Amino acid sequence: MTTQAVLQEAVTDEVVESKSHRRAKRPRAGKKSVGMFLCILPFLALVFVFSYLPLYGWIFSLYDYQPALGLSGSDFVGFQWFEMLVRSPTQLAQITQVLVNTLAMSFLGILTSFLPIVFAVFLNEVKAPWFRNVVQTLTTLPNFISWVLVYMIAFSLFSSSGLVNSVLTDSGIITTPIKFLDSGDHVWLTMLLWSLWKGVGWGAIIYLAAITGIDPALYESAKIDGAGRFQLMRHITIPQLMPTYVVLLMLSVANLLNNGMDQYYVFQNAFNMKHIQVLDLYVYNVGMTGNNLSLATAIGMLKSLISVILLVVVNLIAKRARGTSII
Amino acid sequence: MKRREFLAMAGIGTLASVTLSSCSLISGDSPKAASTSGAFPTTWKKEITVDVFDDLANYQGIQSGWFAKIVKDKFNMKLNMIAPNVAGGGETLFNTRSAAGDLGDLVVLGSSQHLDEALKGGLLLDASTYYKNMTSVAGYKQAVTKTNPGDKGTFAFPTSVSKLKPTQSSESTEPTFGPYLRWDLYADAGYPKIGTLEDLVPVLEDMQKSNPKAPNGKPVYALSLFKDWDGNMMNNAKQPACYYGYDEMGFVLAAADGSAYESIIDSDSHYVRSLKFFSAASKKGLVDPDSPTQNYSTMYAKYQAGEVLFAFWPWLAQPAYNTTENMSAGKGFEIAPLKDMKIFSYGAEVYGNSNYAIGIGVKASDPERVAAFIDWLYSTDGVYANGSQTGSAAGPKGLTWDLNSAKKPALNAFGQNAFLGGGTKQVPAKWGSGKYADGVSALNVTTVTAVDKDPSTGYSFAYQMWPSYQKLIINPLTKDWSKHMDGASTTMEYLRDNKKIIVAPGSGYVAPADSSEIQTLRNQIKAVIVADSWKMAMATSTKQFDSLLKDMQDTVKGLGYAKVLKVDMEHAKEQNKTRLEVAKKFG
Amino acid sequence: MAIAADALSRTKRAPRRGRAPRTKGSWVFSILNYAVFALFALICAYPFYYLIINSVSANDLSALGDVRFFPVGFHLSNYAQVFQLQGLTLATAVSVARTVLGTAGTVLVSAFLGFMFTQERMWGRAFWYRFTVITMYFSAGLIPVFLIIKGLGLTNNFWVYVIPYLVQPFNVILVKTFVESMPRSMQEAAEMDGANIIQVFFRVYLPNMTPILATVAIFSAVAQWNMFQDTLIYITDQSLYTLQYLLYMFINQANSLAQAAQNAAGGNLSAIANAATSQTATSIQMTVAVVVVLPIIFIYPLFQRFFVKGIMLGSVKG
Repeated sequence: MTTQAVLQEAVTDEVVESKSHRRAKRPRAGKKSVGMFLCILPFLALVFVFSYLPLYGWIFSLYDYQPALGLSGSDFVGFQWFEMLVRSPTQLAQITQVLVNTLAMSFLGILTSFLPIVFAVFLNEVKAPWFRNVVQTLTTLPNFISWVLVYMIAFSLFSSSGLVNSVLTDSGIITTPIKFLDSGDHVWLTMLLWSLWKGVGWGAIIYLAAITGIDPALYESAKIDGAGRFQLMRHITIPQLMPTYVVLLMLSVANLLNNGMDQYYVFQNAFNMKHIQVLDLYVYNVGMTGNNLSLATAIGMLKSLISVILLVVVNLIAKRARGTSII
Repeated sequence: MKRREFLAMAGIGTLASVTLSSCSLISGDSPKAASTSGAFPTTWKKEITVDVFDDLANYQGIQSGWFAKIVKDKFNMKLNMIAPNVAGGGETLFNTRSAAGDLGDLVVLGSSQHLDEALKGGLLLDASTYYKNMTSVAGYKQAVTKTNPGDKGTFAFPTSVSKLKPTQSSESTEPTFGPYLRWDLYADAGYPKIGTLEDLVPVLEDMQKSNPKAPNGKPVYALSLFKDWDGNMMNNAKQPACYYGYDEMGFVLAAADGSAYESIIDSDSHYVRSLKFFSAASKKGLVDPDSPTQNYSTMYAKYQAGEVLFAFWPWLAQPAYNTTENMSAGKGFEIAPLKDMKIFSYGAEVYGNSNYAIGIGVKASDPERVAAFIDWLYSTDGVYANGSQTGSAAGPKGLTWDLNSAKKPALNAFGQNAFLGGGTKQVPAKWGSGKYADGVSALNVTTVTAVDKDPSTGYSFAYQMWPSYQKLIINPLTKDWSKHMDGASTTMEYLRDNKKIIVAPGSGYVAPADSSEIQTLRNQIKAVIVADSWKMAMATSTKQFDSLLKDMQDTVKGLGYAKVLKVDMEHAKEQNKTRLEVAKKFG
Repeated sequence: MAIAADALSRTKRAPRRGRAPRTKGSWVFSILNYAVFALFALICAYPFYYLIINSVSANDLSALGDVRFFPVGFHLSNYAQVFQLQGLTLATAVSVARTVLGTAGTVLVSAFLGFMFTQERMWGRAFWYRFTVITMYFSAGLIPVFLIIKGLGLTNNFWVYVIPYLVQPFNVILVKTFVESMPRSMQEAAEMDGANIIQVFFRVYLPNMTPILATVAIFSAVAQWNMFQDTLIYITDQSLYTLQYLLYMFINQANSLAQAAQNAAGGNLSAIANAATSQTATSIQMTVAVVVVLPIIFIYPLFQRFFVKGIMLGSVKG
């Protein structure tokens, strides 16, 4: 049991009835209920039809698939697509760089994944409801603006002739424009900042909801014990958000290789290409632009497998560490 | 015909069609027997709506306006445009629709690869039975035969066909490529002589120095580049190669007359020469620093605002900057007289543009009517009416133009408003409703090129080539330009008279699609070429440039450049062979 | 049932937001806290403001990126263009319908599955939970999914907007995590009253899940409202076009007109180039973004009320 959980135990021990399922896992009497299973069967059927059935399409990765000809009309090529990714040393170097970029961005994302919690917890400390609501609404706005438009705005502000450079030049601070957009330096960092700006407010919604779900009795009893504002935050709010956080964290670890491509696509240029090309963008650049469905399938399949393996591993670790699995 | 022979013929016919349908169809209806009466009906009873799958269209939905009215009156038919360009998702629509076995009633394909897949997949109907009745298309028999090799049937109709000789340019008054600069500033600089590409740098430097700020107060740059259209190479850097008679074929630059083939990454290629040119300009501060990060629309807006002095194409700079107002003030883009240029020009295509094709969908509800419609698109009326979005045809006679007192074609008041006056007028009631631009054919496919001559007028379908039009648009800018160009009235005339143009015969050659393996290698390699080219173009020292060049050469070689180059080289040579053949046969 | 409600109310006695004693540090913290949030909100709001002022400014200036603080050359023709789009009303209706139905469906299904997956007694619970969750990481590719949807007769069918989205593993996980933090005594009390599992779900759990369901609803509503890819792939019947798709096509049309210049080498391009730039792709994109986001901003506060509701429930009962 973690220290947080111990602390939580300490402040909650008078509300024994409210023990959560997770910790009150006493075995229930009787046999397993098939009736309950039947209740969810229709939904499992939907999952099967829309998610599992289409997996037959993975066979395309062994063909040179052309939709007009169908599978029977397309050539069988075996593992050509898989081999092709790693054929020459130069290619290997390229792929390695791409994977380094991918993992770097993913880990930076994971490292900063606590920020939405901080956002939610601190916003919860804002007492004026109107302010809270306005902040909450405004900070979700970037989430709704497509990356294409974000780039347009970024260009207007940060290009060589953009606002920031004109202000800096006019005030005599710099003489030549700073290359914000077309520089190969700090690419990972700037990309992280953009995605944080776009995602933090939106990501906090989950935690804001979770905070409202916290049992008020916990706060009451802690206050009776003399806990101050920060102690409440540290010993009640944050520990109560942990289960949600941990689950989301585990899910994002399994998503290590999927960081999407839209953001990197709009920001890519000759000068930052080396550090910005993540796997999804690379696949787009080498495969989909040439409309190679089979290669895309092969890569999608590899990614799916790796994600599932990661999920299983993470789950095992969680089981070791916490005694319960995430999924 | 004796009864017996007739039966035998019919039997063979049936057998043939059965065989055809069994091998060409995945599923569904076999082609319906056509009326063999020898002509299409002139009236069509039931109104239908046909789905038009059109790779080239820029509009999705039901065709409206005057073109819709013509089609409705003639064929009692509505066109429901399905346009991947507009629908989005790149190849998604083509892939899903072809996987489902039905592209649409009328199909316009935008690449030889699509045509290839559609043919192999049996998505196009064999129109042989209707082809017999297609009298307008019949005028371009060679092209049809070329598009449908062998005697398997008539599945696809060629586009951009022409009755001009293949050695004649297909361009009307302006070439596709050309070094265009701000003529007014060039005049201010005293019309300096320009020997070759590199000599542009000091000229542009002078022009930029004398005009450092645009009217909006922003800095002016001689060159402003953009990244959106980069393909096998940096698009902007390919253009100067075209001023010397080269065009691209993958990673190869091939001379229009087959005299030379270059690998673009070679240190002495025209491509690297352009990069050096850019780099030299960068050194002098002539290249817009926004270049690597901006897209086409931002750059276009800069042309409109007068922030750029040089353009690679007339069709970029002139619509953006040569407004009536600017031109009457003597300002605008005109071609720069490079002494040694030999501009690449596309010859007329006797066989048509083999990248695009028109066909009837295998599940078309009324294939006969669709065939009749296709035939009409190749008729004089059809060319005038359909070729008016990007094809520059004049529009239907009576609506936009008439014969003047000298029996020569001239734009009428409505036409002048539509093409020169911003198109503010409503279409006359008998032509339907809406403005001219609203009713333009959404098919956006050129059946017969607009530079071809209308036999009834003796002038081309393109109004820009009519003497009446050229008289209409004279202004201080063109006057001054003409004065310094030995009185030439159009750019093409100047280029032809001074032998500064080289026409690549229109052979209709299309390189076969890459194997998937080559395609993947190509995509990996071109990403490297494009990225490094940009760095070279913006490089401000020779040392930096050379090390980048070396780096690029080494990297792409490691990625298997030689393998792709070999394929491209073969294609380029094959293309030249067909050009020579065509020139010999029709020239 | 009465006992269950009672058990619940006993656990939630007092309002949570009672005042902790204020110290000097607490004041400094509050001021800083307000300031930082105000600043961040400003940074987040600016881009949207940027879109608004640009969509009403002269199009050539906005294409240059010159409009940054105030509109220049004010005009509304971009909006006029959007509001004159053919089929706009119907498309809006379709969008609203899919958003409402799709959201309601997902919320209910997620709530039910999330709850059921906490039931230890269920046969194969862990397996079926994993069976569902793991699909988040699959991608089978476009074509097979398309063929299956087509096989089910869902192409050119309104329900393609709803049915495939009913089970959202991510939402199920959210709900399950939330339910696990709720007092188990609620279920036990209800079951002692003789309620079956369905009744327990509907009468005891569902009403107490509002905050998480509001979250799921926001996620799902926004996703439904913004989705256009499914229309692109599965729908050709124009009466089923969604607003998003209509606007997406509108943007594409502007873009493809601008690019047509490239394709039509040698022709007369001034006509289309003019058509493409009098309404630039940029200005259209920004206008569309504003049109799409505005409804979300207006509806969002309605959801925010649900975030507070959980607390209200507790305090009123107390």
